[in-house]
Amino acid sequence: MEPLLQQLERFSEVLSVSGTAHVSTWGPETVRRALDWARYLRHVARRFGGHARIRSAVERRLRSLWGPEGRGLTSFQALGRGDVQLFLSLLRNRALGEAAGRALLLQLLPGAGPRDADAEELQARLARLARYRAALLLLREAGSPGGERPALAEDPVLLTQAQLLLGRLREAREAEAGDPGGWLGRVWTRAPRDHFLQVAAVALLQPLEKELGASGPETPGEESQLLVRWLLEQSEVLAAFCRHLPAELLTSVAGRHPALSRAYLGLLTDWGARLHYDLQKGTWVGAESQDVPWEELLLKFRSLWHAPPPLQEEVLAALESSRARGGDFEVPGLSVWTDLLLALRRGER
Amino acid sequence: MDQDFVGLASDCQYWLQKLSAWDQSSTLETQKDTCLYLPQFQEFLRQMYEALKEMDSNTVMERFPTIGQLLAKTCSNQFILAYDESQKFLIWCLCCLINKEPQNSGDSKLNSWIWGLLSHILSTFRFDIKEIGLFSQGLGYEPVDYYPALLKNVVLSLVSKLRESHLNGFNTQRRMAPERVASLSQVCVPLVTLPDFEPLVEGMLTYHGHEPQEVLCPAFFEAVNEAFLLKKISLPTPAVVSLWLRHFPSLEKAMLHLFAKLISRERNSLRRIECFIKDSLLPQAACHPAIFRVVDEMFRCALLETDGAPEVLAATQVFTHCFVEALEKENKQLRFAFKTYFPYTSPSLATVLLQHPKDTPQECRLQLLQRISQMLREAVEDQACGSCVDPFESWFLFIHFGSWADMAAEQLLRSETEAPVAALLWLLAFYYRPLDSSQQRAQTMAKVEAVLSRLQLLMLSRSTPLSAKELQAATGEGSNADPTQSVCGQLIRHLFLNFLLWTPGGRTIAREAITLMACTDEITYEIIGFLDQTLYRWDYLCSEAPRSAKLARELLQELQAQV
Repeated sequence: MEPLLQQLERFSEVLSVSGTAHVSTWGPETVRRALDWARYLRHVARRFGGHARIRSAVERRLRSLWGPEGRGLTSFQALGRGDVQLFLSLLRNRALGEAAGRALLLQLLPGAGPRDADAEELQARLARLARYRAALLLLREAGSPGGERPALAEDPVLLTQAQLLLGRLREAREAEAGDPGGWLGRVWTRAPRDHFLQVAAVALLQPLEKELGASGPETPGEESQLLVRWLLEQSEVLAAFCRHLPAELLTSVAGRHPALSRAYLGLLTDWGARLHYDLQKGTWVGAESQDVPWEELLLKFRSLWHAPPPLQEEVLAALESSRARGGDFEVPGLSVWTDLLLALRRGER
Repeated sequence: MDQDFVGLASDCQYWLQKLSAWDQSSTLETQKDTCLYLPQFQEFLRQMYEALKEMDSNTVMERFPTIGQLLAKTCSNQFILAYDESQKFLIWCLCCLINKEPQNSGDSKLNSWIWGLLSHILSTFRFDIKEIGLFSQGLGYEPVDYYPALLKNVVLSLVSKLRESHLNGFNTQRRMAPERVASLSQVCVPLVTLPDFEPLVEGMLTYHGHEPQEVLCPAFFEAVNEAFLLKKISLPTPAVVSLWLRHFPSLEKAMLHLFAKLISRERNSLRRIECFIKDSLLPQAACHPAIFRVVDEMFRCALLETDGAPEVLAATQVFTHCFVEALEKENKQLRFAFKTYFPYTSPSLATVLLQHPKDTPQECRLQLLQRISQMLREAVEDQACGSCVDPFESWFLFIHFGSWADMAAEQLLRSETEAPVAALLWLLAFYYRPLDSSQQRAQTMAKVEAVLSRLQLLMLSRSTPLSAKELQAATGEGSNADPTQSVCGQLIRHLFLNFLLWTPGGRTIAREAITLMACTDEITYEIIGFLDQTLYRWDYLCSEAPRSAKLARELLQELQAQV
């Protein structure tokens, strides 16, 4: 077992290196050997896919290797397509020398690798990849001509990424790698923020079902719980989450996750408390420019106001208790809570 | 060999022009044209690869100077890249251009240009405003991991859009414009065989817009039908029914596909024929009268074209059997009147014929047979009634339910009670020779009746066992003296075979008699067909005649081993 795990470790390193400038030292023979190696491990993956013990040992080891770059092998499943991963990584890498590059491309011709009767060949897999790519481009054009965007929760791109995110969280949980906070934090710092938040929200809306590439029995919802916990621990991310996502999306998420809905209401209350009434303008304004404007606050509350119970009741309770704390005024312009409640009730009529 | 290259080089020119034309605009018209040529272009790429793989890069460039331009244009045509195996052949062709031992900067430039093209078609892409690649790489996923999942989600999202358009026909906000559905159907042409794509195909097939005309393009129907017939995709029955209802050419193609399977060089047993037929989904689809009428029309044409070939007769009967079964399964209460399925004949006749013999007690079968005979005779021969139906139409209806004729023959030889001989004989004479005049039919009946009484005489108590020669003499088989004999030869042979199966004396000499009878290949096949059909019928009627069935099975096996 140990030699196999060492091999894996070594190959995972090769895979990580394949995306760096180090490949400039690779010759044709190195490229061929690396691909042979990948094929061998694919064979291993196929052979031991059904052995729970070997599988989990491999997964544990792979997880411990999963570096900050997010490269290398990530799961037992990934072992089955290490050759494609390696190929694409090298193809993208401009540092690869001319002769080595030639050797890489020649791997695409039939008969380049050893014939592997039970394995789909590298060429076939890459050809399918090209087919999928073309199909997706065609459908994008036909599905939303002129780049019209679907509602966030229905956007297939976001949905896919949300499923990927949940998949990673599940792997982290299964491998008992403990806290996924580390790499979630890394993704947060590297990915476009709004985009990350949208993906996280869509992930939190997913029904409890088998997700991408899942295997074995599911413990429903644990991945989203991990995500919720992480969000609650990261006040900066949570604030951005509650501030920048569209109100409707936030309401749906809050309806699903009580812990988040409490935090969301807490933030809204904080933001509301920062507003003061501008007598001249006759409206509520923030003390500083980054404060949440009244309109936005109202929009968010209005969406929550129309949510199905029990969320609706919680919102009402939160607003009323804030109003009570502020002196229970009924006249507009004295308490932001009174005015919010009046505006919401007005909107109802 | 050089000749082939000349042909390929001119093909290159032709395709280069086509690709340039397609390149220039991306209208529905150019898309249509592209889809039309996809299979041909794939074949060209395959041939090109076969030619290129034997050459080195420099020779390729000499012989096909425009190949680079051609392949580059192909790399940017998503329809071609998405179609079947075209992208595979394209990748192979590109790799053949690689200069394995670059001598100068030109060679290196060529290689790096190929590198660029391959990177392009295999690269990640900006699917939307956001960079999917960055995020996914952040999570450690490669396109190979997420493209299939993304496609699945795109498909599902389009399906729900279609469903919404279907439900919210008048709500223009949530509705997919008809032009958009039309262009989506065009785009789907190369995609129908992709894994996980079926929900969209199904969604499109069952989508009915609110427009009077068909919105889906014919090429879409053709592509789906083709993939379905070649079993590249599987679709639920309602979707297939919808396909054939909306596009009759596809239905005709499905029927021709079935015919080709049924009437192959190898002779199929009825069981196998039944499997093919059921597998085709055509009997289930035919529950819809419009589909039934097209299918039935094709059976009619096939019968007319082949002069009533036994294979076509058998296929029509088995098809009807499966169709009736599907009809019963679909709905006990008929949704459509029989008249809608069989518009050219009397509805009461169709109703009687449709009765399942299995549900009719043995003793009532004779009465039913008599009734069928009477009704057919009235329809065909009764000039007085004035509404005389074309005899062919009556016969065509009758042969759908041919097992009644087989049962009539059987009853003539096995019935213990007094059988309505004249009625049964008429039925048989009509079945085998539908276009005879009534006078000719009377002659046939007289001849067959004579044979029948000779056979019955042989069965009566006798001291010596029957011999095959005696039997042959009784049926008049083997004597070529009387040319009129051959006219009803098939009918007499069938009675004779029934005699061998049903009478104790017949069973003892059955083998010998059949050997004598099977003097030509044609007759041997006829006997095989008869035995197969008889066993098939007994099987679905759950007939209880173990001795006859055992014998028939053995004889069938022996004869099949001979041919």
